Amino acid sequence: MRKIAILYSGNSVHHKTFYDPRFKKYIASHIYLPELASTALDEFDVLYVPSQLNGHLLLQSKEKIINFAENGGIVAVFGPQPWTWIPNQNWEERPTNFWWWLEKDAKSGLNLVNPDYHLFHYITLADVTWHHHGVYWPIEGCEVLIATDDGGAIFYVDQVSTKGTWIVATIDPDYHFGSYFMPATERFLLGFFPWLAEGKI
Amino acid sequence: MCKTILYVDPGHAFGLKKRTHPFYAKDFDIVDQYSFAKTDLSGYRCISIPGFIDQEYMQTQRDKILEFLHDGKILIFCGHLFRDWIPGASMFIPKKINSFQDYAVHIQKNHMIFKGVKEDDMTYNKGVAGFFARGFYQPPKQAEILLTLGENEVVTYIDQNTTNGIILLHAGNDLFSYMQANKTTDRISTQTFAWVQAAYDQRQKERVSN
Repeated sequence: MRKIAILYSGNSVHHKTFYDPRFKKYIASHIYLPELASTALDEFDVLYVPSQLNGHLLLQSKEKIINFAENGGIVAVFGPQPWTWIPNQNWEERPTNFWWWLEKDAKSGLNLVNPDYHLFHYITLADVTWHHHGVYWPIEGCEVLIATDDGGAIFYVDQVSTKGTWIVATIDPDYHFGSYFMPATERFLLGFFPWLAEGKI
Repeated sequence: MCKTILYVDPGHAFGLKKRTHPFYAKDFDIVDQYSFAKTDLSGYRCISIPGFIDQEYMQTQRDKILEFLHDGKILIFCGHLFRDWIPGASMFIPKKINSFQDYAVHIQKNHMIFKGVKEDDMTYNKGVAGFFARGFYQPPKQAEILLTLGENEVVTYIDQNTTNGIILLHAGNDLFSYMQANKTTDRISTQTFAWVQAAYDQRQKERVSN
């Protein structure tokens, strides 16, 4: 099983999500974000970077996180990304449609680009479907797993920008689960953590 | 010169627009949460703390907050409390939801913050319930109960007894963020601000007369 460290912001949604025993059992360490700069990451295989972190502290540790990936680590990043710090990050913020599911013949506009990818042994498209706050346009060589109808990436894997792996998603399951809202996020996390710990990446 | 309210900014993605929003620019000074320890609070009437705050850090600031309240000032926290840094407050209790009707918000007391605000406008957003509050607090004795889920589960209360100051605790989103939705909830932001000014003046008068 991979050794997963999570960046813990100290906010209520992250406390609720990452101390839930169903997810905590996959987490080797909760690294309190203000202590990230002084914490060694060498012993971990995966660094989980949740949504809604303090921007100043995140950017202060940008080089540290990139070095972790350059040493072969896996970095999983979630949520809208108003700060530029992910290698070859190309983020496009979009207005969020919270209400698509109320429309007649509702369509989320999300598609599985590679349904055979191992992650989808653990989750389904429905488990990543709530809303998103923007899309990425990853560079050539990245594997886009979930995309909007116009090809914007909601979820991609980048094994070309560094020597490690970046799992990058615009969705924010840690926030919604931790705020007691959006049941799909619970299903997503119940599938995502086992994949992150043991799945083919 | 200090503005009326100090907004303690978690520095998260969802909060960035507040830094430049005219409503906040007029009456709020905004400080990053990790600068709170070294911020001089003496010129502020109120501290407003949103739900994304780092509560591990706020726990280290409990004495500073208590001192601020002892000066007869106002603390507003809107969110889910899980650490002990607000005097007299219980931890947030998530509500067990069996039906969307469990999210129904009830006004328990005519109060200027919610004057003219319809309960249904708080409960429903485009016909969907659950945005306003999904849990509650066990309030201190003698607290003024403003809003509940159902009849007894307290979403919003004001505590004027635990300290010399005034604590407004709300188990939902930032009350100052309710604006520009074209429904009666838009009143909440400006009415909360008006309450801050009125409650502060009243409390300072009481302190002088005592």
